[in-house]
Amino acid sequence: MSKTKGKRCKGFSWFLWGKALAFFSNFGASHREKAVELTRFEEKELENLFVLLLMGSFTGIPSPPSFIAAELLPHLEHEIKVLNARAKASSDAMAEIIGLLDID
Amino acid sequence: MKSVFFTGKGGVGKSTLSAAAGWQLAEKGKRVLVTSFDPAHNLGDIFGEKLSHAIRRYKKTSLFLQETDLEQSARAYLKSSMGVLEEVYSYTKAFNMDKYFKILRYSPGVEEYAALVAMEHLFREEGEIFDYIIIDTPPTGLTLRILALPKVTLAWLERLVEIRREILDKRHTIHLITGKYDEKGTKLPYTEEEDAVMRKLKEMQNRYEKVLSCLTSEDNNIALVCNPDFLSLKESQRLVTGTKELGLPLRTLFLNKVEDQNEDIAKHVEEILTTDLPNTSVKRVPLLRHDAPACYIMDTDITDALGLSP
Repeated sequence: MSKTKGKRCKGFSWFLWGKALAFFSNFGASHREKAVELTRFEEKELENLFVLLLMGSFTGIPSPPSFIAAELLPHLEHEIKVLNARAKASSDAMAEIIGLLDID
Repeated sequence: MKSVFFTGKGGVGKSTLSAAAGWQLAEKGKRVLVTSFDPAHNLGDIFGEKLSHAIRRYKKTSLFLQETDLEQSARAYLKSSMGVLEEVYSYTKAFNMDKYFKILRYSPGVEEYAALVAMEHLFREEGEIFDYIIIDTPPTGLTLRILALPKVTLAWLERLVEIRREILDKRHTIHLITGKYDEKGTKLPYTEEEDAVMRKLKEMQNRYEKVLSCLTSEDNNIALVCNPDFLSLKESQRLVTGTKELGLPLRTLFLNKVEDQNEDIAKHVEEILTTDLPNTSVKRVPLLRHDAPACYIMDTDITDALGLSP
């Protein structure tokens, strides 16, 4: 009887250990995901800033000599997509930041 | 290779002195290229030759002449940029890019940039071939903008490289955590060697650093040409301030068209300018009585005042 009880106890503690492990690993993964999300947001903002600086003459920002933009233009497909996406979301930028920081 | 930029107000005699310096150096056995960056060229008129963008030898001497076509420089440069654009985005081949070149000449800054491209080409390609390169520049305002361009461009490039580095750092961090590059699985480069934008920025940095080092080197001289008159003096003072701000070596002051009648004014102008330029050699050049094309008859040896070792 006590042997069975002991076995059950052992099984239960393994079960608890497993749950705790899963909890902590999910906890870690969720934090990692959050960190990646924030870093991606920062990266996109920097890409947006980079291309905005280069092509500032479109928006009235003092810009570098236009030939720098002309030379880099062929390699800026991704950044221009980001610039477009940011421009579209610019009316609701606050909501995006609030969502990113999990503020209800 | 040594280089001399003849600068000053319009009409002071920059082209004549450039031509004379070129001729006299060639007479001393040097291989010399005289090139005009002034969009209103008159180097060809001085030598009585029809000149173009192509370098041309003057009467079997060691003197070579060229009237730089800034528009052609800009076109050549833009064409190479468009070539890369076509390689990356093949659908642009459908457009006839050539028709845009016609309006590009009116774009702000194109003239200065074309001059910079031509200057870079001169230092890189012709510097190997010639002992001296003499550049007849456009009037002060445009010249100062051209000479400032490498420094201004480098300042911008430095900032852009910093931002790009931050972007690549962020991408690297994401890669380390997730093992991929982008949320959609697109492969974005995260090292400086892989990133085409960073490579291009560094290539441009390298190019303009070379131009700037040629401009500020011991082998370069910004020669200021001034006439004994008030307007010429005022513009020369602006040029002195401008070259000081840019850290460019103004080594020679030519007081051109000096006669007995304007001797006093010439003395006064010289005093004012040499106060701002204490280590500059001054050369007075009398008014040239010969008509063009006779610059090479100029009696005054102006090469000794160039301040460049033989």
